[in-house]
Amino acid sequence: MIIKCPYCGPRDVIEFTYQGDATRTRPNPASTDQDTWNAYVYDRSNPAKSHREFWLHGGGCRQHLVVTRDISTHIISSVVYARDYIHAGGK
Amino acid sequence: MADLQSPLGVTFIPGNHGNAAGGTGVTLQERKGISLVQVTAWNNTISTVLTAIGSATGVIIQNTPGSGRVAGEKSVFGFAPGRFMVVGATPDLEQRLRAAISTDLGTVIALTHGRTIFRISGEQVEWVLAKLFAIDFSEHAFPVGAGRATLHHDIHALIQRIDSQTFDIYVFRTFARSFWLTLGHAAEEVGYLVE
Amino acid sequence: MTSWRLPNGGRIERAKSVGFTFDGKVYRGHQGDTLASALLASGITLFGRSFKYHRPRGVLAAGSDEPNALVTIISGDVREPNVRATELEIYDGLIVQSQNRFPSLEHDLMAVNQLAGPLLSAGFYYKTFMGPAIGPLKSTRFWMFCEKFIRRAAGLGKAGTVADPDRYERMNAFCDVLVVGSGPAGLIAAEAAAATGARVIVAEERPVAGGSLLASGETFDGRNPAVWAREKVDALASLPNVRFLTRTSVWGYYDGNILTAVEHVSDHKPNRTRGQPRQRHWVIRTGKTILATGAFERPIVFPGNDCPGVMLADAVRRFAVEYGVGAGKNVTFFTNNDSAYDAARALSMAGVNISAIIDVRSDVSGTCNDIANVIGAELLLGSAVTGTHAGKTLSSITVQHFNAETGRISGAPREIKTDCLGVSGGWSPAIHLASQAGGKPEWDEDLQAFLAPEANQNWVVTGSAAGYMDTVSVLSDAATKGSANSRLILPTIEASMLDSSPAPIFEIEPAGKSQKAFVDFQHDVTASDIRLAYREGFHSVEHLKRYTTLGMATDQGKTSNVPGLAIMADIRGISIPEAGTTRFRAPFTPVSMGVIAGERYGDLRPHRLTPMHDWHIANGAKTYEAGLWHRPMIYGSPGETIEQAYTREARAVRESVGIVDVSTLGKIDIQGPDAAEFLDRVYTNMFSTLPVGKARYGLMLREDGIVFDDGTTWRLTETQFLMTTTTANAGPVMQHLEYYLDCVWPDLRVHLTSVTDVWAGAAISGPKSRAVLETCVTGTKVDNTTLPFMGIVHGRIDDIPVMVCRLSFSGEIAYEVYTGAGYGTQLWEALIAAGKQFNIIPYGLEALGTLRIEKGHVTGAEIDGRTTAHDLHLDWMLSKKKAYVGSAMINRAGLKDEHRLSLVGLISLDNQSINGGSHIVSDKTPREPADSFGHVTAACYSPALGKYIGLALVKHGTSMIGKRAFATDLLRDKHGAVEIVSHHMFDKDGSRMHG
Ligand SMILES: [Zn+2]
Repeated sequence: MIIKCPYCGPRDVIEFTYQGDATRTRPNPASTDQDTWNAYVYDRSNPAKSHREFWLHGGGCRQHLVVTRDISTHIISSVVYARDYIHAGGK
Repeated sequence: MADLQSPLGVTFIPGNHGNAAGGTGVTLQERKGISLVQVTAWNNTISTVLTAIGSATGVIIQNTPGSGRVAGEKSVFGFAPGRFMVVGATPDLEQRLRAAISTDLGTVIALTHGRTIFRISGEQVEWVLAKLFAIDFSEHAFPVGAGRATLHHDIHALIQRIDSQTFDIYVFRTFARSFWLTLGHAAEEVGYLVE
Repeated sequence: MTSWRLPNGGRIERAKSVGFTFDGKVYRGHQGDTLASALLASGITLFGRSFKYHRPRGVLAAGSDEPNALVTIISGDVREPNVRATELEIYDGLIVQSQNRFPSLEHDLMAVNQLAGPLLSAGFYYKTFMGPAIGPLKSTRFWMFCEKFIRRAAGLGKAGTVADPDRYERMNAFCDVLVVGSGPAGLIAAEAAAATGARVIVAEERPVAGGSLLASGETFDGRNPAVWAREKVDALASLPNVRFLTRTSVWGYYDGNILTAVEHVSDHKPNRTRGQPRQRHWVIRTGKTILATGAFERPIVFPGNDCPGVMLADAVRRFAVEYGVGAGKNVTFFTNNDSAYDAARALSMAGVNISAIIDVRSDVSGTCNDIANVIGAELLLGSAVTGTHAGKTLSSITVQHFNAETGRISGAPREIKTDCLGVSGGWSPAIHLASQAGGKPEWDEDLQAFLAPEANQNWVVTGSAAGYMDTVSVLSDAATKGSANSRLILPTIEASMLDSSPAPIFEIEPAGKSQKAFVDFQHDVTASDIRLAYREGFHSVEHLKRYTTLGMATDQGKTSNVPGLAIMADIRGISIPEAGTTRFRAPFTPVSMGVIAGERYGDLRPHRLTPMHDWHIANGAKTYEAGLWHRPMIYGSPGETIEQAYTREARAVRESVGIVDVSTLGKIDIQGPDAAEFLDRVYTNMFSTLPVGKARYGLMLREDGIVFDDGTTWRLTETQFLMTTTTANAGPVMQHLEYYLDCVWPDLRVHLTSVTDVWAGAAISGPKSRAVLETCVTGTKVDNTTLPFMGIVHGRIDDIPVMVCRLSFSGEIAYEVYTGAGYGTQLWEALIAAGKQFNIIPYGLEALGTLRIEKGHVTGAEIDGRTTAHDLHLDWMLSKKKAYVGSAMINRAGLKDEHRLSLVGLISLDNQSINGGSHIVSDKTPREPADSFGHVTAACYSPALGKYIGLALVKHGTSMIGKRAFATDLLRDKHGAVEIVSHHMFDKDGSRMHG
């Protein structure tokens, strides 16, 4: 698999580390609501279709990326910096 | 103050090695007496920081991914968003950059002790490096001056193209000896000279 | 005539003779021969014995599809089994052995397996070796008992037992267009693609490019196609944007248009130059892939079809035209399509006698009739081969009338003398790579074969691989596939009007008793095995494969898949595509493990060495690996045991002073206006309150509340911190911090840089450590006021700049002295020199561990991904004033449960050492399974206490203090009484380190 890093260009997947589901939002740190935290820490979706994931380009620019990838075909439709994705409100 | 100790120890053996019939496919060197400083800009200060690097070093580079420039012993290249390696023979490089770049513009950290630079040059340079790194070394994909961050198995490396047949490879110092041996191993097929 | 070498022809170098050994006997061939062609030229037709029945087998094919002629290459003690004789190029001194025979190829004792034929049929192992329901050999144990005998009787070549001495390498390549195959389609597609300026790689599995052109009977612009191909290859290879790789088999197709190939760099050479690999593993990332992989000829399944001398028609042709070898002196052909006529003509032109062509079709074209006529071969239409007669090789065939409509055989058998039968059952496009890439192949009724699926990545299929069987359409298709706007001027082809569409006949099945008819030669699967599988309920192709092992040998059924499917479809009364197909998997052709490992053999990982590494080795350190690091374990004296050495070292620290290399600690530079705020969020305790020039011990949790890492972090300026992590967690902590900055708090202005390698660190510990520093540090005082516990000063030692932080892991008064890595050895030697008067000694990881166990300090053994701060008695570090990573989850009931394991100390009561990993139990006598209520995380001999001690995680830990228990390790047969004590076993109030 090849991921096209917005900084480094296309690189082999071996340079990247999967960092989890990017569709979750961390609860307000002050919140002590156990259900919300439980869902954030443990619940993961695994849809057989397009999915948003965090990947760290640890073998390159060391940026976290948000990769939109169809899990059933491995076809990647977009890669953006995680910072930009978070700034855009997780969209 | 004394010179910095090389991490290579007894594994640095000057002279010709490998396939003698192949001539000297590549020449390997450890660059010494060089100061390395990493400068990182904030998201909105990248162009200001590049200007500041320019005024501190005289080397100006473009604000595009992986761009860089070589000017004699000095060189500057980007290898991550807003992050640049600034290299030169002047010992006060860090101070000059710190003076030019306040915390509001970005951060400065000297890495002279922490990174080892190998220079590899020669006709077979792209062939030898392609054994180790999964990036495209052809000149149109990797132009002179440009920088890249990549990986050889567990060893993280920064690579800058110095000219069409020369590259500088920056590795973490504690991996340097292992990587040096790997580099020599890869170059055996084409014959190599250690200088 | 004693030689089967034809007087003319072939691309072998007749002037160069090559000597090699086969089964102990020396033979000669020519440069350019394969083992198969050289042996056939010497009259050898018996190459090996078959997998299950030990039947004599010869050569079937002429390339990578060969299922039978597998040999073992012997080189000293090294054996490489299962090499296809049809691909193995001979060289002077080559030694090969035939396989699967005992004691020799000609007199094989196991051939009695043939008599036991019904016993060894499909599913034999499953049925026979289930074993009795009870007793010592119950169920699978019976299989395990029988297995070693069966393995000897059935199997492929034997693997070697010595390490592979050869060199293998990996090569990364990038191109715009990868062309797989260099036949007419591959060459034209490559030329068209190269003309656009694209970077092109052409990979050809054979030593010489040209594919079918090398043995074609057509003319290209009036010339021999082999000559045309050679000129085309030379022209292409000379272009700067084209790389031509021969002996390179593309074997895998992966996501992202990554293809893998193995280049046989020097397999064909008697000697290698220094540094030259035997094989090279190419990983090719391409924009577009052009699959010009050609087609494989299929055999027809008929009784007795596996004896030496029965070959594929095209293979007979290729041996004659490419290697100048007549596979027989009196050749016959058996076909269901026209291509065998072309082969017959080529053979006849090479001077071989063709006595008959047997065709299942009742009517053939005028061209076919003409060919038979011209070459003087008897044409037997509406006929089929129904049996063979052979000793070591074919002597005659039996031919009967055959009705292609009904499949019925009739009439009197007729015997025809022949020593070689070329068979053609049609052609299967080589769609393996396309199939690997994904998708279901599509059945083509006209070709009676599967075609590539629709492309799911940027690839195209061209030439015969795409189902084009005549050269003119192959070339025009290839030009278009190479470049949509190709303006290539294609050669004028002079070809005979032959039609490769076969009659849909895959099997000849006589009504009565007949010889075995083989489908899968390599796994010895017969047509009756497929029928048996059907009768026993294995109908789907996936079941059929697994039950009979059809298509599961090293050739992945290149010659057997379609005939096997056709037979199953026929039994079930459905069409072949309805019966299904199987998806091809990588590798296309067998690939050695060595080439995949590349240069990563033996010691697989890089070594990480601290700046003082050479000093340690020169001064007697025994090292071991800690992750990638090589670290001193002990500095042994002659005659000392490991325990004696670390005891001596640890005692010296408590009594005087010792020095240990701590350069391996993870170090992260944390800078920016929000650095302190960031640390407050990731550590459980406060860092924004830490003054400049001070260090603080910090604890990090994971988001789920479990302890993640610990270490000290030093405030160097208002906006710059130096964080240290445990050695093992340096990478994970960096990743953890980066995650929060990138994905959770992107607004924080903080930069992180790994500076582990920037600093060399030496910790000096012991009552005399301050005295040592006082004798060597300049530029600063190091007294208790200037440098209190957790204080930091800057100064110089031996004129090099140092940073000294007073902190302690050993429990003694201690300092960590840091300098740039390039000065590490100089600093170390200066400290040793300064400490000489205090008898300073270097100590290793074992003593370091001993000192920390005595003090009850935790490391990765206790921070094991399951323990909480509370479990480790570190809850005092959990700030109540702020939220931090993990704070929301730490109060969950499960993490506060009183039954949780928590940290305690152990003291051995029997004066015996305690094994790490032992279970804590209450039973006095060892038993299995014991009722464990904890486990030992670390243990040592404590010189300070004069006892064997340990740390353990134990249920109800604190309330167990003072109780007796047993540490039991049944694996190492150790069971001893221990007392559970507080984890602070030495200097509980910490007075020593604050002194
Ligand atoms: Zn990147």
